[in-house]
Amino acid sequence: MTDMSVSVSSPTAAIPAKSLPEAPAKVIARNLNFYYGDHHALKNINLSLGTNRVTAFIGPSGCGKSTLLRIFNRMYDLYPGQRATGQLMLDSTNILDPKLDLNLLRARVGMVFQKPTPFPMTIYENIAFGIRLYEKISKSEMDDRVEKALRGGALWNEVKDKLNASGLSLSGGQQQRLCIARTVAVRPEVILFDEPCSALDPISTAKVEELIQELSENYTIAIVTHNMQQAARVSDKTAFMYLGELIEFDDTSKIFTSPSDRRTQDYITGRFG
Amino acid sequence: MAVQTEVSDIAAAAGPYDRARALSAFKLGDVTFYWITRLAAISVLLILGGIIVSLIIGAWPAMKAYGFEFLWTRRWAPSADPPVLGALGPIYGTLVTSFIAMLIAIPVGLGIAIFLTELCPQWLRRPIGIAIELLAGIPSIIYGMWGFFVLGPFLAYNFQPFMISLCANIPVLQDIFAGPPSYLSLFNASLILAIMVLPFITAISVDVFKTVPPVLKEAAYGVGCTTWEVVRSVVIPYTRVGVIGGIMLALGRALGETMAVTFIIGNSFRISSSIFAPGTTISAAIASEFQESDGLHQSSLILLGLLLFVLTFFVLAAARLMLMRLETKAGK
Repeated sequence: MTDMSVSVSSPTAAIPAKSLPEAPAKVIARNLNFYYGDHHALKNINLSLGTNRVTAFIGPSGCGKSTLLRIFNRMYDLYPGQRATGQLMLDSTNILDPKLDLNLLRARVGMVFQKPTPFPMTIYENIAFGIRLYEKISKSEMDDRVEKALRGGALWNEVKDKLNASGLSLSGGQQQRLCIARTVAVRPEVILFDEPCSALDPISTAKVEELIQELSENYTIAIVTHNMQQAARVSDKTAFMYLGELIEFDDTSKIFTSPSDRRTQDYITGRFG
Repeated sequence: MAVQTEVSDIAAAAGPYDRARALSAFKLGDVTFYWITRLAAISVLLILGGIIVSLIIGAWPAMKAYGFEFLWTRRWAPSADPPVLGALGPIYGTLVTSFIAMLIAIPVGLGIAIFLTELCPQWLRRPIGIAIELLAGIPSIIYGMWGFFVLGPFLAYNFQPFMISLCANIPVLQDIFAGPPSYLSLFNASLILAIMVLPFITAISVDVFKTVPPVLKEAAYGVGCTTWEVVRSVVIPYTRVGVIGGIMLALGRALGETMAVTFIIGNSFRISSSIFAPGTTISAAIASEFQESDGLHQSSLILLGLLLFVLTFFVLAAARLMLMRLETKAGK
């Protein structure tokens, strides 16, 4: 893992040597369309996220990567005028079902944002807050869960002596890992990362990437990134999107060595985007 | 770029370019600017100090005559010989009316603000927002008249009998709602105050709620929070300084509001356990008696004004202290 994140000079050098077997699908999109008012932002998306696999979404700004991610946990529901059509299944749950319990959905599908978003409370409370929404547990159990989550977020050693400090007092990279820990603490099934490293320095980025790799052992992960090396380093499958369409979706090694579509080739070699 | 060419043009026109002289011209401007703003800031202190000093001078005879006893004397008899004057009635009335007003206005005001920013459908936002602003624009005497002619009769003949029958034989409550019906009462004044300060709380809360970054709210929704949990755990903690600021502004207005209260509180210096009994507040007492007062009576009224000043100061100080403690609790 470590040597992979070191050799960042060319994307091809970082491709995982082992080719993982095809995983059963966790999330399946069929003919998924999305509209911002009249603007047709996503057109007929068909893809599936493999269980315990990392799927990366790449493409130029405005191609709909983040939009797609925000459908997976119905975040778009907060804003009137935005709607999705088609089918999107999480196991046997229809995510687009208007009667779906959104709080439960978001407990199953966690999200980490571009900018770190610690809540205005202590580090401990940042983690405990999410857990408390779903479970009534004793103080000692909670301590345990918070420690586990912070370890899961590779942050425990840095914050164990200041759990009562404000979450906002941490550095940007630490804040982002706190947000990951917070997401993990709720025990989701799928974790969505929306450009999780774009506001971080290289060392923090390496830590977060390593964390994503570790998390993929237990979680299904979707990550939007503008950094192609990052996509190559962390993902098993890569989806290339352009102007609201899914152009190519394949094994990461295939996308970065021999893409079938001309536009994918142009994008990953830096000819546009 | 343009500036550079301009400067070199000037330099060419004025012969050898003297950088120090050009800078000293800027410096003069800076110094002037510094002093203008500084004087503006100092004038605030001067005005505040001047008001305090003149209040103390005006109140001095009363302070000398009554000392601290002024604070807990219940009797207010300016025509007795010598006059017996005590501030307990107005202080009690001021605190009780403001307390009840805030008890009503804070939850309602915050509720409106939360509804407007988090839940309200887009098309309803503007009408409600404008209505709140209009509420703030109504002159206080109109609230007073409305309280006297509309709210007063309703409270006296409908609401009070209902509360009396509801709380009959409940030890403390039956005293709070007891008494003969009266248009003029502490409770009537409290309600009017609540309506008057509501727009302050709502307008400021709406403004600060809007400053919560959408991504922070999304993050909270993202771990599965309901709207209520997002508001309680993210929006309000994130904006608490602003919200408390708004509440304090409202409380300041409630403590000092004069015209509407004078109209409907009844101007009675007697302290009654019932909130439906007439009472008075510091500002109402001053407004209703100042014109016909002289000597010790007038000085006592000025002392009342000084007390209101001190009261407001302590309220603001308490608010600051509360904020500081909240911040240590949040681990800042």
